[in-house]
Amino acid sequence: MGYRVGIDIGGTFTDFAMLKGDEVVLYKNLSTPEDRSLGVMSGLEKLAEMEGLSLREFLQGCDAVVHGTTVADNTLIEMNGALTGLITTEGFRDEMEYRRGYKENIWDVRLAPPKQITPRRRRLTVPERILHDGSVLTPLDEDAVRAACHRLKKQNVESVAISLLFSFINPEHEKRVAQIVAEEMPGVQVSCSYQVLPRSPEFDRTSTTVVNAYVAPRVNSYLQRLVDRVREAGYEKQLMVMQASGGVMTREYIEGAPIRVLASGPAGGVIGSAHVGVAKGYRNLLCVDMGGTSYDISMVLDGAAPAVAGWNIHHRYLVGVPMVQVETLGAGGGSICHVSNGLVQVGPASAGSEPGPICYGRGGTQPTITDALLMLGILSPDMQFAGGSFSLSKDGVEEAFQAIGDEMGYSAEEAAFDCFRVVNANMSMGVRRITAGKGVDPMDTCMLAYGGNGAAFAGIQAQELGIDKVLVPKASPTFSALGTLVADPKIDEERSYLVPADQSDPERLHDLWSDLAQRALKFFTDAGFAEQQVTFRYQMNMRYPGQNWALSFDIEVSEGVGEMGFIDATIGQRAIEAFNGRHMEEYGHIREHEVPEITGVRLAASAHTASPRVDRGFTAQRTAAPVAKTRRANLGEGFSETAIVSGPELRPGHEVTGPAIIEETFTTIVVYPGWSAVVDDAGDYELTRNRVAD
Amino acid sequence: MSFELNRRLAARREPLATSETVDPVTASIIRGGMETVSFEAATYLGRAASSAIINQSNERNASIVDAHGRLAGSAIGTPHLSFVSQYTVRYGLEHVEDYDWGPGDVFLANDPDAGGGHLPDYNVYAPVYDDQGELLMVQCLQAHQGDTGGKDPGGFTLEATDIFTEGLAFPSVKLVHRGVLRKDLFDMVVRNNRFPSFAGDLAAMIGGVQHAVRLLDKLVAKWGADKVRAAINYNIEHTEKCVREVVGSWPDGTYEADVFIDHDAVGKHKDIRVHVACTIKGDQLTVDLTGTDDRQELVGVWNTYGNTLSYVMTQVVAAMDPDIVKNEGFFNAVDIVVPEGCIAQPPPNKPAALGSFHPACEITEAVCVALSAIVPERSAPQVYKMGMPNAVIGLDEQGRMWMDQGVDSRTHDASAIQGMDGWGSCPAALGNLLLSQVEDAEPRFPVLNISREMVQDSEGAGRWRGQPGSLNVKKVLAPTTAMAWMVTYEHPLRGMCGGDDASPYLNHFNVGTPQEHRVELSASEVLPPETVIAYQYGGGAGFEPALLRDPESVKEDVLDEIVSVARAREKYGVVFTGSVEEFDLAVDVAATSALREQLAAERAA
Repeated sequence: MGYRVGIDIGGTFTDFAMLKGDEVVLYKNLSTPEDRSLGVMSGLEKLAEMEGLSLREFLQGCDAVVHGTTVADNTLIEMNGALTGLITTEGFRDEMEYRRGYKENIWDVRLAPPKQITPRRRRLTVPERILHDGSVLTPLDEDAVRAACHRLKKQNVESVAISLLFSFINPEHEKRVAQIVAEEMPGVQVSCSYQVLPRSPEFDRTSTTVVNAYVAPRVNSYLQRLVDRVREAGYEKQLMVMQASGGVMTREYIEGAPIRVLASGPAGGVIGSAHVGVAKGYRNLLCVDMGGTSYDISMVLDGAAPAVAGWNIHHRYLVGVPMVQVETLGAGGGSICHVSNGLVQVGPASAGSEPGPICYGRGGTQPTITDALLMLGILSPDMQFAGGSFSLSKDGVEEAFQAIGDEMGYSAEEAAFDCFRVVNANMSMGVRRITAGKGVDPMDTCMLAYGGNGAAFAGIQAQELGIDKVLVPKASPTFSALGTLVADPKIDEERSYLVPADQSDPERLHDLWSDLAQRALKFFTDAGFAEQQVTFRYQMNMRYPGQNWALSFDIEVSEGVGEMGFIDATIGQRAIEAFNGRHMEEYGHIREHEVPEITGVRLAASAHTASPRVDRGFTAQRTAAPVAKTRRANLGEGFSETAIVSGPELRPGHEVTGPAIIEETFTTIVVYPGWSAVVDDAGDYELTRNRVAD
Repeated sequence: MSFELNRRLAARREPLATSETVDPVTASIIRGGMETVSFEAATYLGRAASSAIINQSNERNASIVDAHGRLAGSAIGTPHLSFVSQYTVRYGLEHVEDYDWGPGDVFLANDPDAGGGHLPDYNVYAPVYDDQGELLMVQCLQAHQGDTGGKDPGGFTLEATDIFTEGLAFPSVKLVHRGVLRKDLFDMVVRNNRFPSFAGDLAAMIGGVQHAVRLLDKLVAKWGADKVRAAINYNIEHTEKCVREVVGSWPDGTYEADVFIDHDAVGKHKDIRVHVACTIKGDQLTVDLTGTDDRQELVGVWNTYGNTLSYVMTQVVAAMDPDIVKNEGFFNAVDIVVPEGCIAQPPPNKPAALGSFHPACEITEAVCVALSAIVPERSAPQVYKMGMPNAVIGLDEQGRMWMDQGVDSRTHDASAIQGMDGWGSCPAALGNLLLSQVEDAEPRFPVLNISREMVQDSEGAGRWRGQPGSLNVKKVLAPTTAMAWMVTYEHPLRGMCGGDDASPYLNHFNVGTPQEHRVELSASEVLPPETVIAYQYGGGAGFEPALLRDPESVKEDVLDEIVSVARAREKYGVVFTGSVEEFDLAVDVAATSALREQLAAERAA
């Protein structure tokens, strides 16, 4: 049996999605923070047991084990990465501290600085200088490199980042520095900027390399431990790891730039969304994931969620590797409601899961969004919460909202409702900022909601944004794990080459692409793929003179490396035409009289692997869903007795007309007035707004 | 174009007429919707514009002004620029009839004497009407332009004695009439600008406000115009109330400050004074600039009236809870008195380009110094005392202008605040601007960047220290015009509550040659190829006396080579054992306390 297993480790739960044939089996167990690989192994044992196999038999029958890890994210949240040093070009010691002038809140003169990964004493410079055409202005001073190593060694540095000016054009100095560091500081981790992010500008590349150096030892040792465990237990293939780019790749590949796993969990969710949404006939999706602490927003356009390299700030550090774009707002079930300057506000502070909302009964005293939902009757003390792991309690909740009501001059229920409105408005504003950045009107999308709290707000969110259709997949609580199964193995890398497009040298282009193609091919071959199974997308990065950020587009797509016959004397002209088309699409105008410049070549290599099948359609007979009971609830139009439907009892064809609340095992779906929900043939929910205008 | 006009433009405006009411949450939801539209307009501009200062450095602002000319909300940009947009619109509002305002119109304004800042700050704005055809609000989009068609490329002329030297001023010009571009006017505006990408940028600004107007139309349709009016009124009143509450909690009294500029733009007149008196009486804050220099012969140091109001407010908002919503309520709560004819409210036709640096920043700084007596925990001056951008400008082979504008990474004016050292590369208010990078600049401009590191011992010392300044060293590779106006040598950025002043800005031309010299006053020179210039940005100032700094923090600074062992001893009175080289530095507690006692006595004397 060729099993494929996707595993995603979250703060509380480790999620498993197993694909056998067309069937998907979902499973969750508690995470094991002391050694997360233990929770993975016990989950794998459970899956083997479900299949009636020993763990060894099961793992031997696995075609792929695909893993999404939050180790890099946790390292940055806890700031407990490696003691890191930086070697950079003389004269440019302080870029990491300047942050290109960026400060997160322009109104707050008391905003504290981020903790420095490389304080000045561990940022050392060496005389050397390469120019933008790759020529050497100042040769590398090797004695200075050795002296820098000596200083870093004295400080017990465990991981060294190397980032020299224009190394993305000519990496020779960086390579030599890496050799010397290896000689002088045996055993330390080395991260070179020309490998981690071979593109301009220097802060973006340096920051990414420094963060890579900081997280590398922890990510690599964790993955090594996991590889050892699954191998001992009988798994014979390579462990595949989820990347923030939305692709997976082998552990050997990740070892070269572990930064690529940062923020990979949310990326998995988006890839899962794209898969489900497209299968159901929706190619433009607004994906919203509302969990305990945050509201993650992302977009799938024309069936894809492209990874974008650039100004991605994570945990206050710039990480420039390609990432599926996910914007996070501090608006989750645990977000704290309060009054500030006479205004009701929600978040950004969160009660987290410990102590959590007041209604968790674990000592929380500040009212949260989950508590507001309880006040509004959307959640209830009667229901089983989070898959039946505990019940909610109303003790202290009303008093907490009354305190807000006292300040505002109204009742506790009104206060809870205002908090509900405020968090909704915050989320709508967040969505509009994302869609604006993409030039998309939210009205033209279908919303796909997941995460524990996503479906409680999806309908009203959609309504505010003018969206008429919401999908809530039944697998939504384990979406990230499902995403790792859906994601294809992928390597997406680039090499810089700065030249006006009409003066490009075909031979140089050939060398750069060949280098990328051979490197990618090796990793794919090692992972057991035949060359013809791998699709090679040869891409160019181009911009108009004066622009800083380039656009990427395909210039050739081939199965296997291919002959590269497309690189001929006409390539410059073809590239200009393709770029102008891309620029028009992205920005709505072109500059007819300017020759764009090539900034580099890019290669996205990917292989297709089996994905879970997603059913669509509504062939089942449409019947009204059974109403289990009623409850007093306020779904935006005041309190009234509201129908409560038990999710696990629903079958394809069942229809729920709002106002109603569907209680699922891990989530609560609110069907707002004017909306209806239908269970499709796959058992997923599709919510539709019936009223065209309010 | 008169003091009378200024009085009208600054006069307090009435709330919008409506009998509709609104609850606080709906009001803030509508405000959020308006802010998001502004954000979308600015994002649109960022995506569509060509010039790097807009699409990479984010020097753009969007705001919404109501039908009475009140700042109803802003979303993005730097406070210094956001708080001035309502005044340019007010000038337009005086001409609704004779300029034939109507739906679909788009205007351009930048006139320093008609509510504007300096000429490069183009404000493109468009009215929004309700379904009865009544004017409801105006969407503004403002961005700094690389040129203004004046005597010198870039729009900065040190010796300018009138606005006409600096370029073309537009009090209010209609570029789009009822949705149709007035091509003749557009082409005329474009013709008067040297920057090759200007036409695209102006088109992008027009597209941005048109996009915003469509979104605002939807917002008005959703809530109803009267509900939106009520929300605007509520939000402005609410902000005023919050500001008054804060001021009411401050002790009554008058708190004064003097801040000086070394000399004017030609170096002829010295010690130019900005005087601020902040008076608190109950919940009323009055910021009075009476006593500010009014010598009419001064050159370059003229800050427009609109800018003065804005730069005062930039520091007032910094002194308060950052969550208070920024709108006209601040201006309603704070009285700002600016004598007519002084450098903070010039007579008509004075040059304006350089005034946005000085005295604009000294006005902000003086407000900070005055308020530091009341709110030390929020007193960090939101300034950029850099004289002017060390603009290096040239022409390419086709004769097209380029400008490496000096938005290169550097630390400047990042002062300490109670409980926190200065950090990063600038004050918080400028944290939206992304600075350019060597690897982006060198392929474009004939300039070699040699260094831009922080300079050891250039921090403003204090119990909490300022961030050190940085030294930028560049070599020009083609004939290049470099300009500088050095203003902080005699009067550097002020320390707060007993902290040391910041280190001054310094500038050297022809480095490494017999002609090497420090620019003492100002300079505008064409540098031949291979010339090296070195300019050191002033650091941030300190907070409270240096002798109070935790010796362990001084040790960390010494290990980071921010402070030398010698300076640790002289400034901070900290003595060490061990060495930086061996990383075994330790505070010699006994020697430190003895030295500190001695220094304290000396300083008291």
